[in-house]
Amino acid sequence: MSNRILIKVADIIGSPLCISAEDGQKVFDKIEPLLKSGKQVTISFERVSMLISLFLNVAIGQLYGSFSEEEVRSLVQVEGLSGDDLDLLKRVVDNAKKYYTNPKGYDTAWEAEGEEDEQ
Amino acid sequence: MRVNIGTIKSNGDGFNRIASIAENTKALLWDSVELDFSNCSFFEANMAAPLYTVIARLRAELNDVSASNLPADIERILKKNHFLTLFNMETLPDTNQTTLPFKIFKLTAGEQFSDYLDLYMNGKGIPQMSAALTKRFRQSLFEIFQNAASHSKSISGIFVCGQFYPQKHRLDFTIADAGIGIRENVRRYTKNPRISSCNAINWALTEGHTTKTGNQPGGLGLKLIKDFIRMNEGKLQIVSRFGYYEFTADSNSFVKMDHDFPGTSVNIEINTNDTNSYCLKSELSNNDIF
Repeated sequence: MSNRILIKVADIIGSPLCISAEDGQKVFDKIEPLLKSGKQVTISFERVSMLISLFLNVAIGQLYGSFSEEEVRSLVQVEGLSGDDLDLLKRVVDNAKKYYTNPKGYDTAWEAEGEEDEQ
Repeated sequence: MRVNIGTIKSNGDGFNRIASIAENTKALLWDSVELDFSNCSFFEANMAAPLYTVIARLRAELNDVSASNLPADIERILKKNHFLTLFNMETLPDTNQTTLPFKIFKLTAGEQFSDYLDLYMNGKGIPQMSAALTKRFRQSLFEIFQNAASHSKSISGIFVCGQFYPQKHRLDFTIADAGIGIRENVRRYTKNPRISSCNAINWALTEGHTTKTGNQPGGLGLKLIKDFIRMNEGKLQIVSRFGYYEFTADSNSFVKMDHDFPGTSVNIEINTNDTNSYCLKSELSNNDIF
């Protein structure tokens, strides 16, 4: 028997639609304590019919706020994603790594521009 | 008060016209408002969603809103897409099945929105699109719907409406809300009370930018939609308060509107003949992600 813990996303959120931040948080809340205790996890997207970046930002992107890239790489695997959904997850992961490298800088990178020209 | 609707197309003039109606009726309370369509020579059906932002606000102020003098062809279109049920008029069967009818969703109704798309996009007159195109289109609609749900603070919900134009091989879908607008969110988040509507939209379009509070990454959804629209050779329009943004494969423009649109409206127009596979990095494996 594998030591990896299988996290079935569709079972956790009770739906094949991975479209809300709230559901993403439910998945994150399952993964985070397992990683904290050093467990290896496989996140399964079996039966998922729709996946958007908003969900993945919260469910998986947010992991980079608690764990290093090396920890995530060594402890987390995914399965059940088609090629284009893997591409989407990769975009989310790259965005999250960038965000957590300097979250404050990322948030305020946009300097005050434009002037009040409206009511 | 009688309000001249005029011609409403899915372009800058059409959105500016709706914003002008909003401004002219902004102060009304417990009044009667007659939306007069007699000078309306054309009404693109998906524009029912942004028009409803005005009606929702008027009704929230307990105004009695009615529609009058509808030219026969416009009445037919707006009955087919269920918009006129808002004024106690009957619906007409959509015999060509080119309509994704007007509907109001609660902010938490993402799953019902999925059911709606299942019902109206599968196997009807909406064209047979490739599986990849259908998926990217739906993903884009969910990103927009959830953006509205997360950020709009709309008390009247999210308004959707779509129309397929078979001759042009184009499908337009519009998602609107009568919420606080992108400008307000960006002003609060960046603590810059002077940022204009166009600059606020531009801020929101920048990869990685999100006004979501809490220590979470975000700000990918609109970038992904633009990538899709570029490949599809479609069109994206974002209207919020005074800001009008239009994006196509070969243009990218911000225009300050003359009038204040009461919320946010996002229109996606896709080229339904597209056969792209949309799998950009198909060589990615499960081991390449983290």
